Amino acid sequence: MNTENFTPPSRRHFLAGAGAVGAAALMSGCVTSSSTGSSSQSSSGSVSLQSNLSSPQAKTAMQDLVAAYDKRGGTKASLNTVASETFRTQLPTYLTSANPPDLLTWYPGSVADGYARKNLLLDVSDIWQTGELAGYSDALKKLCTDSAGAKVFVPASYYWWGLFYKKSNFAKWGVQEPKTWDEFIALCEKLKSKGVTPIGLGAGGGTAWVASAWFDYLNIRINGARYHRELLAGKHSFTDPQVHKVFDKWAEVLPYFDPNGTALAFQDATTAMLNNRTGMMLIGTFFADAAPKDQLDDIDFFQFPIIDPSVPVAEEGPTDGYFASARTRHKAQVKDLMSYLATAEAQEIYLKGSSGTSLPTNPKAKDSGTPLVKKGRALIESAADVTQFFNRDSSDALQPTADNALTKFIAKPKEVTSILTAWQRDAQKIWSQ
Amino acid sequence: MTVTEHLAPARAADGGGARAARAARRPARRMWGTAAFHASAGLLSLIWLVPIAVVLITATRSFDDIAANGLGSLPHSFTLGGFRQAWVDGGQQQALINSLIVTVPTVLLSLLLASMAAFALSRYDLPFRRALLLLMLAGNLLPPQILLIPVSKLSEQLGLYDSLYALIGVQIGFGVGFYVFVLHGFMRAIPQEIQQAAVIDGAGPWQIYTRVILPLAKPALAALTSLSFTWIFNDLLWAITVLRTDTKMPITASLLGLQGQYVSQWNVIAAGSVIAAAPTVIVFLRFQRHFVAGLNLGAVK
Repeated sequence: MNTENFTPPSRRHFLAGAGAVGAAALMSGCVTSSSTGSSSQSSSGSVSLQSNLSSPQAKTAMQDLVAAYDKRGGTKASLNTVASETFRTQLPTYLTSANPPDLLTWYPGSVADGYARKNLLLDVSDIWQTGELAGYSDALKKLCTDSAGAKVFVPASYYWWGLFYKKSNFAKWGVQEPKTWDEFIALCEKLKSKGVTPIGLGAGGGTAWVASAWFDYLNIRINGARYHRELLAGKHSFTDPQVHKVFDKWAEVLPYFDPNGTALAFQDATTAMLNNRTGMMLIGTFFADAAPKDQLDDIDFFQFPIIDPSVPVAEEGPTDGYFASARTRHKAQVKDLMSYLATAEAQEIYLKGSSGTSLPTNPKAKDSGTPLVKKGRALIESAADVTQFFNRDSSDALQPTADNALTKFIAKPKEVTSILTAWQRDAQKIWSQ
Repeated sequence: MTVTEHLAPARAADGGGARAARAARRPARRMWGTAAFHASAGLLSLIWLVPIAVVLITATRSFDDIAANGLGSLPHSFTLGGFRQAWVDGGQQQALINSLIVTVPTVLLSLLLASMAAFALSRYDLPFRRALLLLMLAGNLLPPQILLIPVSKLSEQLGLYDSLYALIGVQIGFGVGFYVFVLHGFMRAIPQEIQQAAVIDGAGPWQIYTRVILPLAKPALAALTSLSFTWIFNDLLWAITVLRTDTKMPITASLLGLQGQYVSQWNVIAAGSVIAAAPTVIVFLRFQRHFVAGLNLGAVK
């Protein structure tokens, strides 16, 4: 009996020991390979910036930005653009590799915090103390701080969400921008009576995530941004009565949705709106890139209607920017580049080259100055709180559970209870990982 | 075959008038059959060709036209700007060169290695040759996805990460097993007497391999060349696993890069797809005769 008890632990100890030896050998392998890597890198001397802005226009804007940085003398940066879809799937590999890129484009908030908790991100709190970053808004400062209190992110630009429509169409139909939920429903009713599908969606063909905007906005209008974030972090349940209230409100406007809403990709839904087949759609400003240039002046938006005036008004303002790998061998140079990317000059260079519908995070930087962009900037600056977006406030892993639940809800709104139970079950699997 | 055999005696036995009437009816029926065949075959090929035609048409439209009228509408514009944008701004020129740098040596090297292995395994009574073949087959049954992380980490440890050598190595490693399996089946079918005659003439194994077996295996090699070229050229998974720098990416990865984060310029993507598809189409057209012959030769035996 005694020996029987004794034998298995000893074998286990042996295996653990062997594992440790193996791991140590692997680690030393890492160290040697990384040291050779560093020598080859320091000879080139430039900071590598891994970018996911792969569309030709955005890529050119990034090239301009890096060229402007290089022209200042001192540290040089080298831009490496990867297809956005590749970047998304490979990001964990980049960050954990022995020789990671120095600086990467990505999202702040809970996404960055997830990597920071694994000690993969460089602490850049010191560059936030001085220079132009010190003048950033408190909301952005909070957004770029991880759960341990260190700043790990430098924001560069953001965009906003709203209900977009064509000015000429609203004039033709004789309708006004609604402010409240009741006015919004009245507007939908009026458009429907004129034979127009009031609300386009575009949650099909690979862009199912667009539907999450409706969930996000209804939730922050009814339950507030704080509850929304806590819900996405797993502190509440999707079967809560508060979440049910969100879907009750959504069901009120669901009859006004485009029946093709979950069949068309958002880019096609945009075309439908521009061709006057639908009246409006809740979408981010990036959709303007999918509009013909001559129609851009005709596009306008209004704020998602207020449902409960007692809830502080929050808006969705997804922020993009940069974080640095903790294993970078150019700490000082990376911080120099990050400080530069935060300047008004750098952000204006990028906005000029890109499609110009996003906004700079630097309060002193000029935006592209169109009435639409001015209105968007005022919207976000007046908001009491800014949320990011479903996947950015939670994780890329949780997004598919939302896509699933919301697509089902739009098809079968009566089965909301069972849909929410299933959603909670799926989400639990992600949170408990 | 049987139909003509039946027809000939029947026709000979027929009388004059009936024969003429029947002869008139038969070609008519045959004509209808041919017409139906061509109509349905034409319709089928049309269905096959529609997606290609849509891509070609989309590639020559302007983005504003697509944005204003939708992807499915009739074209309102004609421009080759999409090709220029994909080739210059999208970096497809460099990507195409990278693809060829990877694909051509990989095809040559892996077919050389595979033909040597297949020669030894099929023509000589080596110990464990059955086990070796089964091992190669088993390797093919393994889904490559589960090896992504090991391959990425291994190439990093070897210092090959983010170099085209890594991609060539991975492609050879994953291809050879299948090529050996196919070539083994083909070479085994070559009659033993040919080899024996060569041995009597004083040929060693190397001479038998280069001067007897390889020339005879040409159809199979040609078929595998076109197949492996297509596979390696069209591969995306391994490229994005072992490469990181955009200037080293092959054409498939750069095609993915033409897609924006949110909005995709379909005309540029369609033009890029046309550019990316061109080399494989050329290779296939060049080798298609061998391709069909190779498949047949392998199948009958």
